[in-house]
Amino acid sequence: MWRYIVRRLLQTIPVILGATLLIYALVFLQPGDPIVALFGEKPVSDAVRAELEAQYNLDQPFLIQWLLFLKGALVGDFGVSYSGQPVSELIGRTLPVTFQLAFMAMIIEAILGVIAGFYAGMRRGKIFDSTMLVVSLTVIAIPIFVLGFGLQLIFGVQLQWVPPTVGSDTSFTNLILPAVVLGLVSFAYVLRLTRTSVIENLTADHVRTARAHGVSDSLVNRRHVLRNSLIPVVTFLGADLGTLMAGAVVTEGIFNINGIGNLAYQAILRGENPTVVSVVTVMVLIYVVASLLVDLLYAALDPRIRYA
Amino acid sequence: MHNHTPRQGQERFVAPAVSSELPALHVDTSHPPESQWKQAWKALRRNWLFWFSASLLVIILFVVFFPNVLTSVDPRSADLSHSLGKPQAGHIFGFDRQGYDVFSRTIHGARASVIIGLLTTIIVTIIGLFTGALAGFFGGWLDTIVSRGADIFFAIPLLLAAIVGLSALNNVWPDRGYWGGVFAVVIALAVFGWPQITRIARGAVLEIKHLEFVDAARSLGASKWRNLFTHIIPNALPPVIVTATVSLGVYIVAEATLSFLGIGLPPSVVSWGNDIAAAQPQVRSGDNLHVLFFPAGALAITVLSFMLLGDAVRDALDPKARK
Amino acid sequence: MQTKRTFKYVAALSVGALALTACGGGGDNGGDTADGEMIINAHGIEPQNPLVPTNTNEVGGGHIVDAIFAGLVSYNTDGSTEMEVAESIESEDNVTWTVTLNDGWTFSDGSPVTANSFVDAWNYGSDPDNAQLSAYFFNAIEGANEEGNIEDGSDTLSGLEVIDDLTFEVTLKEPAADFPDRLGYSAYFPLPEVAFEDMEAFGEQPVSNGPYVLDEWNHDVDAKLSANPDYEGNRTPENDGLTFTFYTDPDAGYTDVQSGVLDVMDQVPPSAIETFQDDENLEAYTEDGSVNATITIPSSLEHFGEDEEGQLRRAAVSKAIDREAITSTIFDGTRTPSTDFSSPLMPDYSEDIPGAEVLEFDAEEAQDLWAQAEEMAPFEGSLQLSYNSDGAGNKEWVEAVTNQIRENLEIEVEPNPFATFAEFRELITNREIGTAFRTGWQPDYPSVYNYIAPVFGTGAGANDGDYSNADFDAALVSAASAEDEESRTEALTEAQAILMEDLPAIPLWNQDALAIAAQGVEGVQLNWQNQPEYHLITK
Repeated sequence: MWRYIVRRLLQTIPVILGATLLIYALVFLQPGDPIVALFGEKPVSDAVRAELEAQYNLDQPFLIQWLLFLKGALVGDFGVSYSGQPVSELIGRTLPVTFQLAFMAMIIEAILGVIAGFYAGMRRGKIFDSTMLVVSLTVIAIPIFVLGFGLQLIFGVQLQWVPPTVGSDTSFTNLILPAVVLGLVSFAYVLRLTRTSVIENLTADHVRTARAHGVSDSLVNRRHVLRNSLIPVVTFLGADLGTLMAGAVVTEGIFNINGIGNLAYQAILRGENPTVVSVVTVMVLIYVVASLLVDLLYAALDPRIRYA
Repeated sequence: MHNHTPRQGQERFVAPAVSSELPALHVDTSHPPESQWKQAWKALRRNWLFWFSASLLVIILFVVFFPNVLTSVDPRSADLSHSLGKPQAGHIFGFDRQGYDVFSRTIHGARASVIIGLLTTIIVTIIGLFTGALAGFFGGWLDTIVSRGADIFFAIPLLLAAIVGLSALNNVWPDRGYWGGVFAVVIALAVFGWPQITRIARGAVLEIKHLEFVDAARSLGASKWRNLFTHIIPNALPPVIVTATVSLGVYIVAEATLSFLGIGLPPSVVSWGNDIAAAQPQVRSGDNLHVLFFPAGALAITVLSFMLLGDAVRDALDPKARK
Repeated sequence: MQTKRTFKYVAALSVGALALTACGGGGDNGGDTADGEMIINAHGIEPQNPLVPTNTNEVGGGHIVDAIFAGLVSYNTDGSTEMEVAESIESEDNVTWTVTLNDGWTFSDGSPVTANSFVDAWNYGSDPDNAQLSAYFFNAIEGANEEGNIEDGSDTLSGLEVIDDLTFEVTLKEPAADFPDRLGYSAYFPLPEVAFEDMEAFGEQPVSNGPYVLDEWNHDVDAKLSANPDYEGNRTPENDGLTFTFYTDPDAGYTDVQSGVLDVMDQVPPSAIETFQDDENLEAYTEDGSVNATITIPSSLEHFGEDEEGQLRRAAVSKAIDREAITSTIFDGTRTPSTDFSSPLMPDYSEDIPGAEVLEFDAEEAQDLWAQAEEMAPFEGSLQLSYNSDGAGNKEWVEAVTNQIRENLEIEVEPNPFATFAEFRELITNREIGTAFRTGWQPDYPSVYNYIAPVFGTGAGANDGDYSNADFDAALVSAASAEDEESRTEALTEAQAILMEDLPAIPLWNQDALAIAAQGVEGVQLNWQNQPEYHLITK
């Protein structure tokens, strides 16, 4: 087990190298001159341009830029944004908020998705199952920038159950609506995955055997059906954390949350490569850790899987 | 060596032979045993869900390829004096803010949207299923390479990756026209989307490869590859199908989000995503929601038909669920 | 370079610590009337640069810098100029200007505002080593190059000379009668001595001489300003302070005004254009605005050159656009169709410019003009109109405009979106765009001259279409050196008449100044820059 963890952690090094190289290449290929953008409509003299390019390593070929970035990142120095703030500070400020939001969204989607999916699967074809089908179709077909916006108007402005925007106060009650909005699409995935797994497991041999042995229905459902149905769900959720953090781009904008998704998006718009690359690097790290945890969870859910 | 001849004098008990007739067993030996796939197809044919969803899909594909049969109105002909007009005779879905005919837009928008959703899903599923199954089945260094390779692409969140990917594509591939615009979105979504299926497929294969029937097949001398294609993959399919059918809708909507952020399809390409994005202001006023309802409804019906089809296929692949 | 970085890091760290303590206070809802003080909560955007006046060129930082600094002159709500720190700005030949300061002005650290506060700040802003984003504004001063940077080999602008503590002299490269009117722009604000010791730290926590002082800047969250008790200029605050709460999505800000969390917001998101005037949850303000929108067709574009064919085609395109229909449906009446190249708000605006009827919609005449051009050389392919789609609402009107041109001229016209402003501007700057493109202008100081000289003058900085017309340039020179208001307006009208004929850019409309305020907020007045006069707001 421990050997497995160590080996996996070592394997994250090439993943991080690969992902940062990939994002660096993409960012390098971005059209647009960040220095022109910086100066708005006004002309820039060559001397000033040279000065700024040197400051942000923009005059280097992209592999050298990448290596310089890695060198800095190794000691925790992610460089300085065009606004003169250390990127590590920007990330330090925005990451906890996004993390809180993504975590809440994940809990909500996991609990609601598994419960709804379980009952939909147990009562397949019945009214609850059909209702959930319509619900998941709705959340899939209407994008967040429409749905989130609509929910904000209904619950925030008209009913006034929750504050319409979050701003600096990132308390639980303020984040609950954005977390629901963020988790909606993934809720549809979890619901459909759980439902299918439950249907599958209801007819599985070990479940039939357990029933034949006279184990009570509720115990069979809980221990055998539900537990086995969770495996694909856990796989999905582990990979979903990253999606939630980036999916927050739109949600964070709607609810004015100073999160990392918004930071990345604004940086892309402004061509702030150091910030974009650093944020993605942090997201990669989080993803890698989350997927390691998922693989360990497999072992807990399915005793046949063992890590040597 | 023991000799089991009975001892002298001991009475032997012989059960009276009851002659019972063996049930008639019809084994058709003139054909090789039916493969899983064939059996599944047989089961599929008996399922009404399959026929329902398949006919929906045929209708959708018809709209995609022959939009002009259903409407003669040019989807790009705009008249601002009709801006946000309500549904009326001849224009049953009304007009949007630009004064476009919403019915015509919904019909013509199917092409770009369905192709983006379907093509991305197909590419992602093929790559993901294949890599995931190999990694889960063979394990070892192959698993390590595939899994970590997938991590590299999947660790960069899809929406952010699609944003930078598409703008990078803009740079190296400008002026790409209608199909270029559509394929650029497909490429951006597929390149960063396949590891999702890889992970799900790998997880399912890991779960299945220890099951009894696989062991049985192996002990009967089935080759590894044969095992993979006849037993492992069909049984690993359900979660893959479910994920893929939901993803199909998610990709179509991702195009809407990308268009909303201004990097998806250009306005000259008629798509549900572009129209849904353009309808966002109506949510605030709460008026004229028909401009949102029709493209979003078309998208929902498309996703629904794929979901139901996915359900039917899953049922057909599950031998125990077959009647 | 290395030392600079280290400074930056230290400076930012201490501010980070400040921000933490501020958050630790808890329960603080962003500066409301906690202890009876009237703090106005305004919509803001996180400044993209340190708060150094010469390095602030975008609206987020601009709000704060304008509120905390006072310049030689200030602008009244209507755009007229009034002396503020300066007692007088005088010149005999419009080239050499003598600036005399009022005595008694101080910065918030107690140090006096002197001639050096201005001259040193301007030299700092112009020095290419400091890479200041607003250096361009010094390009009229002798010793600066076209981009406004000090020319090679010198540390200071040769056109600036300190006479005594309260007097300095500015020598320009060319006569400019409106020079004093320019000096209220933020690039010309003074800096205290302490700023030059550590500009990085200063940019985080500036010491200033304006109506407000900056108390706290909580990055990405808000900036808290309180009224400056020592301020005795033209813009005395009616409230006790301003808090700019930062948003990235204007929709979120709008929602907060509706629910009363935010007192005032200087814009209306596209999604609310249709409804904001009837919204019962808030007060809406609309005024004529100074920002205009134009379509620039570069003279290098085939069939659109500076000849008769090009003129005919430009006029045809202009007449094929029904500005009225677009402003009333796409913008719900929040834009006003253009009647010239500037804005009716400008003090030297003129109503009747010869040839302005080319801006009126007439589909038949448009077709006729286009047909005349077709006889000279047939047009093939499609006309593309480029725009940046990260600017809210661009897509909607570009789509409507291209639809109209397509239908009225019966040619292929396509919108051509670019994801970011950076990408869009780069192609324009490098002259690689190869299409017509959207342009717009917000004046730096209130004058028609500022709408046309930097945009259409031969070789001018913002002349993106490479327009060049000797008659037009001559008219500009006579406007700049005009002795009185009347002859100046006359020269500007003549210059605009030439533009109407050549149409280097096609004027579309002027953006109305829009603002919204929560119920109970009073004193919202929009100035010539389309911004609320924050110091006049009360609640």
